[in-house]
Amino acid sequence: MRWCLSLLLFCFLAVVNALSSSGNRLLVVLEDATEKESYSTFLGDLEARGYNPVVESPKSDKLSLFELGERAYDHVLLFPPRSKGFGPSLSPKNIIEFMNKDGNVLLALSGKSTTPSAISSLLLELDLHLSTDRSSMVVDHFNYDIHSAAETHDVLLLQRPGQLRPDTKSFFDGEGVLAFPSAAPHTLGDSNPLLAPILSAPVTAYSYNPKEDFGSVEDVVASGSQLALVSAMQARNSARFTLLGSVESLQDKWFSATVKAPGDGKESETANRDFAKQLTAWAFKETGVLKVGKIEHHLAQDSEAPSVELNPKIYRIKNETVFSIEVSEYKYDKYVPFEVPENDALQLEFTMLSPFHRLDLQPSGKTENSSIYSTKFTVPDQHGIFSFRVNYKRPFLTSIEEKHEVTVRHYAHDEYPRSWKISGGWVWIAGLWSVVAGFLAFVIMWLYSAPTSTASTTKKTQ
Amino acid sequence: MAETPVDALLQGSTGRNTRGLLRIIILLTIAAAAVSSRLFSVIRFESIIHEFDPWFNFRATKYLVQNGFYSFWDWFDDRTWHPLGRVTGGTLYPGLMVTSGVIYHILRFLTIPVDIRNICVLLAPAFSGLTAFAMYLLTCEMSISPSAGLLAAAFMGITPGYISRSVAGSYDNEAIAIFLLVFTFFLWVKAVKNGSIMWGALAALFYGYMVSAWGGYVFITNLIPLHVFVLLCMGRYSSRLYISYTTWYALGTLASMQIPFVGFLPIRNSDHMSALGVFGLIQLVAFADFVRGFIPGKQFQRLVTAMVVIIFGIAFIGLVALTLSGVIAPWSGRFYSLWDTGYAKIHIPIIASVSEHQPTAWPAFFFDLNFLIWLFPAGVYMCFRDLKDEHVFVIIYAVLASYFAGVMVRLMLTLTPIVCVAAALALSTIIDTYVLVSRGPGPQAKTNDGTSTEGLRSTRNPVVGITSYISKAIVTSSVVVYLLLFVAHCTWVTSNAYSSPSVVLASRMPDGSQFIIDDYREAYYWLRQNTPDNAKIMSWWDYGYQIGGMADRPTLVDNNTWNNTHIATVGKAMSSREEVSYPILRQHDVDYVLVVFGGLLGYSGDDINKFLWMVRIAEGIWPDEIKERDYFTARGEYRVDDEATPAMRNSLMYKMSYYNFNALFQQSQAVDRVRGSRLPAEGPQLSTLEEAFTSENWIIRIYKVKDLDNFGRDHGNAAAFERGHKRKRATKRRGPRVLRTE
Repeated sequence: MRWCLSLLLFCFLAVVNALSSSGNRLLVVLEDATEKESYSTFLGDLEARGYNPVVESPKSDKLSLFELGERAYDHVLLFPPRSKGFGPSLSPKNIIEFMNKDGNVLLALSGKSTTPSAISSLLLELDLHLSTDRSSMVVDHFNYDIHSAAETHDVLLLQRPGQLRPDTKSFFDGEGVLAFPSAAPHTLGDSNPLLAPILSAPVTAYSYNPKEDFGSVEDVVASGSQLALVSAMQARNSARFTLLGSVESLQDKWFSATVKAPGDGKESETANRDFAKQLTAWAFKETGVLKVGKIEHHLAQDSEAPSVELNPKIYRIKNETVFSIEVSEYKYDKYVPFEVPENDALQLEFTMLSPFHRLDLQPSGKTENSSIYSTKFTVPDQHGIFSFRVNYKRPFLTSIEEKHEVTVRHYAHDEYPRSWKISGGWVWIAGLWSVVAGFLAFVIMWLYSAPTSTASTTKKTQ
Repeated sequence: MAETPVDALLQGSTGRNTRGLLRIIILLTIAAAAVSSRLFSVIRFESIIHEFDPWFNFRATKYLVQNGFYSFWDWFDDRTWHPLGRVTGGTLYPGLMVTSGVIYHILRFLTIPVDIRNICVLLAPAFSGLTAFAMYLLTCEMSISPSAGLLAAAFMGITPGYISRSVAGSYDNEAIAIFLLVFTFFLWVKAVKNGSIMWGALAALFYGYMVSAWGGYVFITNLIPLHVFVLLCMGRYSSRLYISYTTWYALGTLASMQIPFVGFLPIRNSDHMSALGVFGLIQLVAFADFVRGFIPGKQFQRLVTAMVVIIFGIAFIGLVALTLSGVIAPWSGRFYSLWDTGYAKIHIPIIASVSEHQPTAWPAFFFDLNFLIWLFPAGVYMCFRDLKDEHVFVIIYAVLASYFAGVMVRLMLTLTPIVCVAAALALSTIIDTYVLVSRGPGPQAKTNDGTSTEGLRSTRNPVVGITSYISKAIVTSSVVVYLLLFVAHCTWVTSNAYSSPSVVLASRMPDGSQFIIDDYREAYYWLRQNTPDNAKIMSWWDYGYQIGGMADRPTLVDNNTWNNTHIATVGKAMSSREEVSYPILRQHDVDYVLVVFGGLLGYSGDDINKFLWMVRIAEGIWPDEIKERDYFTARGEYRVDDEATPAMRNSLMYKMSYYNFNALFQQSQAVDRVRGSRLPAEGPQLSTLEEAFTSENWIIRIYKVKDLDNFGRDHGNAAAFERGHKRKRATKRRGPRVLRTE
């Protein structure tokens, strides 16, 4: 029921905005109003895509993520704070609560300032780890911009990220080079499956604290591609948290800079603006949002007779069953049919305690903005309360977790074949009826062969 | 003797009619007394279904009434034993529900709109009236005395041993089964007496009804063959016996096989083999009897001996072979526990954990039967004096039922009818002897003037004897006093001990007024009103039927304890740490967990007191993970206070019982009133469950199972964060850092 309601809400909002699938109220938390100028292109792009950015200072009294217990904003964009933290209204607890209510957060950090401990502890809750001193910077002596960071080597030049895994969709690919000035690195906990790195540092990069004169890199937390620069965390309710290591990369300056890597002599334009669009589009649920439409299951049948009951509550063991699910994907401003990545499959489980069937759902149809996947199978020979489950959770895609309970009953007493249809039973049936016939014959014989003579003799003796 | 107007009514054919009318009136009065004494519970409390099993029967009856007989027959119940479900239509004795359903439809047909609940509540009292009547018929077969039958009927009507299972609201199989038991025995005795196919067939018919109503039909299945066997051994073979037994066995077995739950048991289960064996034996005896007519005595004797030895040997070997090969099911565990009272405790804890399977305490016999229990041996002795076929039946029944009643509390129920018969026989003899006002046969000794030389001198001139008015008055008045005491006792026991619905608890306030504790229903209605229709509730199996009936929510386990593993799973979830329990709860789709806690009120039937059974049953399946020893302190004590063992304190059951209990005691230390112990100063913490509901007197506590954490943390960490603890920096791991790979 709840998914139904949220779906309604989803559709409603989508109609209103024709933009993000989850609303356009955007809160931008920026401590220094003067800095707003340097991000004007970025904020302008957001506004052009239909968002209503409200820029607030974290110290403002009016600032609150909630209003009357409900979310006041759909998305929050947090610029790195100058002071010790974001203040009481943006405490880790509030942000977690905000995400529990389906709000999306994009947090940008900078290597130039020390990250407050409040933020560090929030990130720890999400299993994202900053370096111990919280003010490190990524340095790479092989992939830096020789124009701007000839000495410090802290403006990283990176290729656009491709596919994370062969079975995922890529939302951040494209041509061009990304420039990441003074990026604060973070590492991802190795236990949390909800995390996914969007952009990792090059293999030659390492983390280094420029404030400590000592150039020692003895206790390296991580290095190379273990250092993530941009990461995504998608909570189980599909609320998105995006961590961007370098807030400077969003500045106007770097949107249209010309950079040059030390190795090759070619100068190139940065693709930061394009990447920022992709990143915010993903973070604010413009891309990678899956929606489940109709779910249908019914008995399989030869002809398309309308008599068959849709989504019955009860099946019998060994029934032939058809299951279909309609999935669509939101792409910037509309829903389009969802295509499962090449090396992946949308699967259906028919489960009671453990799956009895796990089947790949095959595409069977397509509508204007959704595709239909279906499969056909035989209900196992085990009665009980089963459920159709579609559990599709992939990095960067909102999770599909559908569970539909059905009862699988036993054969009713009149659904077994009748005795005469079982050839092995003929012997017994013949035996039965011969006894009946024999008994009747005996009775008839007994009744009609009464010896009259003896009857008369007994009478005489009496 | 002067003719009085009354004599005209008491003599001759008019007298017979008058006595017949009186008898009917007396029987009706007895039935009325039987019914009305069972209405205490309705008057004291309300018209409500009692206890545990009746709730299932009630629910099944409602299903039957709503969906008709065919869908009831094929009923697959998806609201119990989640997620396994129960093929309920094929695993219950439908007699009770069908009886109520038929009554319901008849009343509807007569345009009397009665709620099905009221039919269910009042079914047991109504049938107890019929039982009294059946008892009258049975006892009349045993005795020529006119008073015996009426006394037996009266005893049966009000004896607490039977009332305990048949008060209004106690809608259980026994409610109609005892009537069927007594009536089947009556028909059987009648059949043996008359050697009539009709009575045998009627006995088979009611036996079939009995099979459809109660698992205790096995008692009849074994008692009747035993009766026949004993008669054969006594050399009392007759064609009457042959006709009645073969008729009963053939038709009765066919009838019993029509019940889906019984199915092929009568020919495959060891419990039923005695009936089959006696059936074979009686054929042989009949054949031998037939042959005897043709063969001279000496040879016949030899032939019979040889035949008996050979056939017995073959049959025994065949039985053993079939049992070993599995064609015939071996004896069931419940059966073994009938012979060895310690068997169940060792091998099948689930059977031993049921209180009504415990051996009977001696006072219970007096409590349930009062003065009948000491009239009982006298009555059995009177049967020995006559020792006709039907008296043999009484003796066998008495011996068997006494043994079984001693082994299992609930088999007191099968003992009660025969105690009533025997006691009525004894008492009617006393009454017939002493109540007659006439002096009886005059003492001849007086005429001889003391010259008689035989016998002792004291017997010559009996001053006190059964003929004197004084002795008659004393005996009669003492009998009357005993009868009055019996009535008083029965009324007291019924109103005080057996009329509590156990859904509603009653206690007394200090000023003597009644205080109703209605926590069960409060909690069940909370579930009904506040949870989704298919929210799965986990609780110990005792409450399964009630949750199904009152809260109408699916349960994991219930009082139909057919699947020991599933119960053990629940036991494991209750007795393990949260980290172990949580995956079990998730796997079984549990939404709410319900525990019964009596610590605040001092209600001793709570889950902590039943906890050891959960541990034992779980240990039976997972001996490596759950160990009973871990829940006892080093000194072997079962404690819940500071000295409780870690296994105890970390178990889900302990945590759920005592969660937030400290908050109730502001300054002082929390005290558990059942166990009488002080609890640890710091109460348990729950991270995977959250408290959803606690009833007024804390008897029922309901917890909601939390979903997986939204951010992939474990519940302990998430709860710590909620409490405001900041996560420590990721702890330094030993060894090399584990690299993350995508």
